[in-house]
Amino acid sequence: MAVTTLTEHPPVVQPAPAPKRNTSPTATVLLLLGAAYCLLPVLWVLIASTKSASELFNTFTFAPSTHLFDNIAFLNSYRDGLYWRWMVNSAIFAGGGAAVSTLVSAMAGFAMAKYDFRGKGLAFNLVLAGVLVPAVILAVPQYLLLAKVGMTNTYWAVLLPSFISPYGIYLCRIFAAATVPTEVLEAARMDGASDWRAFYRVALPMMRSGLVTVFLFQFVAIWNNYMLPFIMLGDDRLFPVTVGLSGLLNQGATQPAMYTSVVTGALLSIVPLVVLFLTLQRYWRVDLGAGAVKA
Amino acid sequence: MRKSSAPYLFLTPALVLFAAFLAAPIGYAGYLSLRRVKVSGLGLGAGARSEVWAGLSNYGRSLTDPEFVPSVLRVGAYGLIVVPCMLGLALVLALLLDAGRTRVGTFTRTAIFLPYAVPAVIASLLWGFLYLPRVSPIVDVLSGVGITAPDALSSGWVLYAVANIAIWGGTGFNMIVLYTALRAIPTDLFEAARIDGASDIQIALRIKIPVIGPSLVMTFLFSLIATLQVFAEPMTLRPLSNTISTTWTPLMKVYRDAFVRNDIYSAAATSVIIAAATFVISYGFLKIVGSRAFSQEN
Amino acid sequence: MKRTFAGVLAAALILTATACSSDDGDDSAGQADPNEKVALTYWSWAPNMDKVVQGWNAAHPNIQVTVNKQDGGDPAVAKLLTAIKAGSGAPDVMQAEYQKIPTLVAADAVADIAKEAGDLKAKFPESAWNSVTLGGEAVYGVPQDSGPMMFFYRSDVFDKAGVAVPKTWDEYAAAARKIHQANPKQYLGTFSSNDPGWFAGLSQQAGASWWGVQGESWTVAVNDAATKKVADYWGGLVQEGVIDNKPMYTPEWNAALNDGTQVGWLGAVWGPGVLEGNAASTKGKWKTALLPNWDAAAPANGNWGGSATSVTSQSKHKAQAAEFVKWLNTDPAAIKALAGTANVYPAANDATSVALTEPPAFFSNQTDFYALAAEAGKITKPFTYGPNVNVAYSSYNDAFGKAAESKKAAQFGAALDTIQQATVGDLKNAGFTVAS
Repeated sequence: MAVTTLTEHPPVVQPAPAPKRNTSPTATVLLLLGAAYCLLPVLWVLIASTKSASELFNTFTFAPSTHLFDNIAFLNSYRDGLYWRWMVNSAIFAGGGAAVSTLVSAMAGFAMAKYDFRGKGLAFNLVLAGVLVPAVILAVPQYLLLAKVGMTNTYWAVLLPSFISPYGIYLCRIFAAATVPTEVLEAARMDGASDWRAFYRVALPMMRSGLVTVFLFQFVAIWNNYMLPFIMLGDDRLFPVTVGLSGLLNQGATQPAMYTSVVTGALLSIVPLVVLFLTLQRYWRVDLGAGAVKA
Repeated sequence: MRKSSAPYLFLTPALVLFAAFLAAPIGYAGYLSLRRVKVSGLGLGAGARSEVWAGLSNYGRSLTDPEFVPSVLRVGAYGLIVVPCMLGLALVLALLLDAGRTRVGTFTRTAIFLPYAVPAVIASLLWGFLYLPRVSPIVDVLSGVGITAPDALSSGWVLYAVANIAIWGGTGFNMIVLYTALRAIPTDLFEAARIDGASDIQIALRIKIPVIGPSLVMTFLFSLIATLQVFAEPMTLRPLSNTISTTWTPLMKVYRDAFVRNDIYSAAATSVIIAAATFVISYGFLKIVGSRAFSQEN
Repeated sequence: MKRTFAGVLAAALILTATACSSDDGDDSAGQADPNEKVALTYWSWAPNMDKVVQGWNAAHPNIQVTVNKQDGGDPAVAKLLTAIKAGSGAPDVMQAEYQKIPTLVAADAVADIAKEAGDLKAKFPESAWNSVTLGGEAVYGVPQDSGPMMFFYRSDVFDKAGVAVPKTWDEYAAAARKIHQANPKQYLGTFSSNDPGWFAGLSQQAGASWWGVQGESWTVAVNDAATKKVADYWGGLVQEGVIDNKPMYTPEWNAALNDGTQVGWLGAVWGPGVLEGNAASTKGKWKTALLPNWDAAAPANGNWGGSATSVTSQSKHKAQAAEFVKWLNTDPAAIKALAGTANVYPAANDATSVALTEPPAFFSNQTDFYALAAEAGKITKPFTYGPNVNVAYSSYNDAFGKAAESKKAAQFGAALDTIQQATVGDLKNAGFTVAS
C-alpha cells in the first residue's frame, strides 16, 4: 500500500496544546464575528420562543418575553403530546438508522481498504456514484417500490433506506486504511483469529473515533431529512420532527397561533443534536483528505 | 492484502441494501422516464388512462422547457456565490482557530458549528422570518440607525438570500473538516519557518494551505454536489415571496412535476438529467484538479 | 355551443362504468356486515377533526375511524395520487377540495358511492352537489364545507377615512386609493400570487369558468374576457401602488392584518378564524360585507375553498366508509361539531338551522354574519374545474409571481395567456381531447 507518513500516523484529534503564544485581537474579533453570524438566527428563535402569539410579530424582535413555558405547555398539549412522539420518532429513525448504517459502512469500508478481491474497483465506483445521487430524486421511486411490498407508512419505510450510506462507506474506507495497520491484522490471523474476529476485535476498536464520526454524520443526515419521511408516511404519529413541524408551519398560515408552536418546537428540536455534539465532540473527526494523500 | 471470500461477506449487507434502495430506485426512475400516461377523450373513469412507452419524449420536454435553462443558470450563479464564500469563510475561520492565538476558540468553534445541527427546512424558516421586512429584526435595527434595508426576497436579492442560508448552514461543517486536517499537520513542518521569522499569514499561505490541499479539494467537491442539489431552502421560502417560482431550481421542477402535476414520468426524466449532469461535473472537476482522491490505493 | 358539463359527463361516465364492469365486482359488499370490526383511516387537514370523529367512534364500536392530520389540501392530494399510483398506502376516506375532484376522478383515486350513500342530493346546495357528482349519476364524495367569498374590512379605518363600504369594484378601487392616500402605509388589500383559488373565485364572480366540456372534448378558458377583466383590474391597482403586491398567508401578511396596515381582506366565509388568529388585537373593529360587484344590479359571487369527503378507490370497506362520510356531513351532531370544533362552514343546507345560529366569535358584533354568508352562497356563479387544475394553479403561482413583482398592469393579462398555454399544452400532451 502506497501510503504516506500522514496516513500511517492518523491525525490526532486533540494534540497537545500548542505552545503558549500571544493572543491576537484580530483573530478574536474575526472569530467572534463568525460566531455572531451563526448564532443570530438561533438567538432569534430563543427569544421568539418566549413570546406569546400576539407578541410574536408585534413587539421588538430582540425583546424577550415571559411565555416560554406557556408555549412549551401548549406544544405539550397539542393533540395529546404529539410533538414528543415526533421527537421520539426522530430519535428512533436517526439513532437506529445511524447505528445500523455505521456497522454496514464499517464492514464495507474495512473490506475495501484491507482486502484485494475481484470487483473491488467496481464496488468502489458504485459507492462514489451513490454519493452523487440527490436524495430527492430517489424518494419517489423508493416510495413506489416499497409500496409494492406494502411497507409504506411504517417505521421501516424510513429506516431501511437510511441503512445504506455511500458517504459513510467512503469515510469508513478512509478510516480503515488510515487507522488499521495491515501488520496488526496479519498478527491476529497468525494467532488463528477468523476474518470476522479480526474485524470485530481488532479493526473496529481501532476505527472507533472514525466510526463515531460516521455515526454522527448519518445521525444528522437522517434527523434533518425531510423528503423521505414526508413521502413515506401518511400517519402523523409516525412523523419525525422535521415533517411534523413543517406541517404545523403550514397550519400557521391559517391558524397563526401555530407559529409560536413552530418556533418553540424548532428550538426544542435543535437541543438534542446540540447535546449530542457537545458530548461526542472529542471524537468528531472528518478528515476528508486523509485517504487522498498519497505518495 | 489477502485473498479470500471474506471481503464479499463483509460487503454483502452494503451491496444488498445498495441494490434495494439505490440501484433499484434509480433503475426504476430510468424506466419511468421512458413511460408516460396516455389519456383518451375526456379522461374520466377507470379505463380512460393507460401507461405507454414514451421514447425520449419526456427528455425532450424537460430540456426544451423554457424554465429549464434559466433554472440551470440560476443554480450555476448560486454555486458561484455559495461555494467560494462558504469555503473561503470556513478556511479563514479554521486557520484562525488553528493558529491558537485566541481565548475564545472553543466557544466560537462550537457556535460556528451549531448551524450544522439545524435542519435545512427549519433554517430556511428561521431566515425567512429574518428576511421579511415587516417582521425582520435586521430591518428593524438598520432602520433604527437610518438605513433602509432592501427587501431580501425581491428579485435582485433573492439569490443572495437563498445562498446565505446555505453558507450559514455549511460553513461550520467545512470549518471543522479543514480544522481537523490542519491539526493533523506535524508541527515540525512549520516550526522551522516560524523560527526563521515567517508570519502566521505566510505560514498559512505557504505551508498549511498546500498541505491540506486534498481536504480542500474534497470539501469543494462535496459542496459542489450539495449546491447542484439545492432544494429545501428555496422550497421553504417560496410561499413567502413572488420571486421564487415553482421551477426555481431543477430539483424544484422535479418536485413540482412529481407531486403537484402528478407527472412522475417527466420528473423521472429530469432526475436522470440532473444525475447525469452531477456525474459529469464531479468527475470533470476531479480530472481538472488532477486529484487521485477517488482512486484506488493499489 | 357549449353543452352542459352535466349531461356529457354523465354519458361519459356511464360508458366508462360499463366498460369496466370488472371494477364493480367489489360492489356486492354494498351491505356491510354489522358485526364486522373495521378500522378506517381518514386524511383531513381541518383543525380538530379527530375530536369531531370521536362522536362517531363512540357510537360505532365496530367502525373505528382514525384521523391522519394532513398539511393541507395540496400535499394531501399529492400523497393520495402517489399512493394510488403505487397501488397501496391510500386512506379509506379523504378530504378533497372541490377543485381537485375531477383530477381525482381522472386518476381513478376516489370511489363512486352513489349506491352506499343513498339519495343525499336534497341535503346540499346545487353547486356543491354538482362538484361531487361532476353533474352525473356517480357520487364521488359528500360535500363537507363550502367557501362563498366575503369581504372583511376595518370599519374604524373606513369611518376615519370617510369611505363607504364598496358595492362595486369601481368603488373598491376608489376606496383603495383614498385609504392609501390618507395613510401611505395602509392598503385595502393585496394581490396574492400564492393563492390561485382566490383569483379563481374572483374570476368566477366575473362570470368565468376556466374549464368546460364541449362534446367529447375539454375546453380551457383561463384567458377569457371575464378573467382578463379581473386580471387587468388588479394589475391596474398594483401598478398604481394602491394595492399591495405581497402574497397572503405569510408572517408578514399576518402582522399587517394585526397592526392595521392591511385594512381589508377579500376572504371567504371561513375567514373569521383566520382573522382571529392573525389579528386578535383588532377584534371588534372588523365588519363583513358581500364582495363588491361588477354590476351592482346583478350581484354575483365566487367560491374560495370548500371541500368534500370522499371514499378512496383503495378502501376495502367502501360501505362502512360511505356510512361514515354520510354521517359526518349530514348528521346534526356532526354538523354542529364541524362548525363548532373543526371551524368549517358546513355545506349541508340545514347547517344554518342546527349549527350556525350565533355569529363567529370574532364577529360577535355582526349578528347577520351567517345571513350574509347564506346570501353570498346563493348568488355564487357556476364554475367548472378540469382534470388538470394542479397544472393551471402552479402555473398561476409562477406567472402571477412575476407579474406582481413587476407591478406592471400589462404583465397581468400576459400571465393569463401563459397559464392558458400551460394548461392546454398539458392536456394535449397527456392525450386529452381539447377543443380550441
